[in-house]
Amino acid sequence: MKILIVDDSSTMRRIIINTLSRIGYSDVIEAEHGKAGLEKLGQGGVEMIITDWNMPEMDGLEFVTVVRGSNPSIPILMVTTNAAKEDIVAALQAGVNNYVVKPFTPDTLKEKIESLLG
Amino acid sequence: MDQSEIDALLNTGANKPTGKSKKAKETPSETPIAAPKGAETAADKDGQVISEIDAVTAVTERETNKVMDQLDLISQLIAKQQDLVTRVMQQPDAQAEGVQQALHEIMTSGKTIQDKVYEAMDLMQFQDITRQKLERIVFHLRQIHDYIIELLGTGLKSEGERANISRTIAQTGTTPDEKRTHADSVVEEFKRSQQKG
Repeated sequence: MKILIVDDSSTMRRIIINTLSRIGYSDVIEAEHGKAGLEKLGQGGVEMIITDWNMPEMDGLEFVTVVRGSNPSIPILMVTTNAAKEDIVAALQAGVNNYVVKPFTPDTLKEKIESLLG
Repeated sequence: MDQSEIDALLNTGANKPTGKSKKAKETPSETPIAAPKGAETAADKDGQVISEIDAVTAVTERETNKVMDQLDLISQLIAKQQDLVTRVMQQPDAQAEGVQQALHEIMTSGKTIQDKVYEAMDLMQFQDITRQKLERIVFHLRQIHDYIIELLGTGLKSEGERANISRTIAQTGTTPDEKRTHADSVVEEFKRSQQKG
């Protein structure tokens, strides 16, 4: 299971990678913004995306919208500090499958990933 | 990084010559009304604050990653220790009940330390959250800065001082506490409405 993590914070990418490794997902690739995420996605093999919202170059919402234009089925989890209802709804409308507000616990991330993967 | 390095980094950002001052000298026609000296200084200070906050977020991210490196190292050492203890437990000479019990306790405490290391790693999320809160402050400071400059009619903008903030920070960013909601309930509500539709 190859997972793409898109987040401009190197600290946050490390934390997510570390958490994924602890729950059994070690095949992970990283991108620091949406544009780089699209490039990584284009290289193929990605089966799930975990993305931040607030990023330079291309933010998470635009990234999700572009991804959904060509890939309607890949599971996408948004992990962000944005916790207002209108933000969550906007992300869901853009095509996010589920939503986690930072700071998260490993258990929350595990639960969301497992529910997305069915 | 010690305090002197942090100060040096901050001073580099703060004392960097700004494009706007240069532009003002090169294009006097763009400054129909001369800004009062005190007000211009206040605007310059806004620019400095933006640079300083940007530098602080960069420093804290780098330093947080150093802490993460140390935690990673501790985690690896504990894993190595656990491996060694497991091997010792299997040795014929270590089968006495007291020895086995002691080794078992070492294993248990090692697991506890590992869990605490993971918890500490998870707590490092504060860095990203604080960074985004600071970016929000930078965004608002920049708005005030540009407003003052525009008000004074100097034609000066803070383009040269752009900190590396997210494009959508104005609309989103770290959500103020009074607007925070429970994500799971919103997701469930959205999914139900989609199913009905």
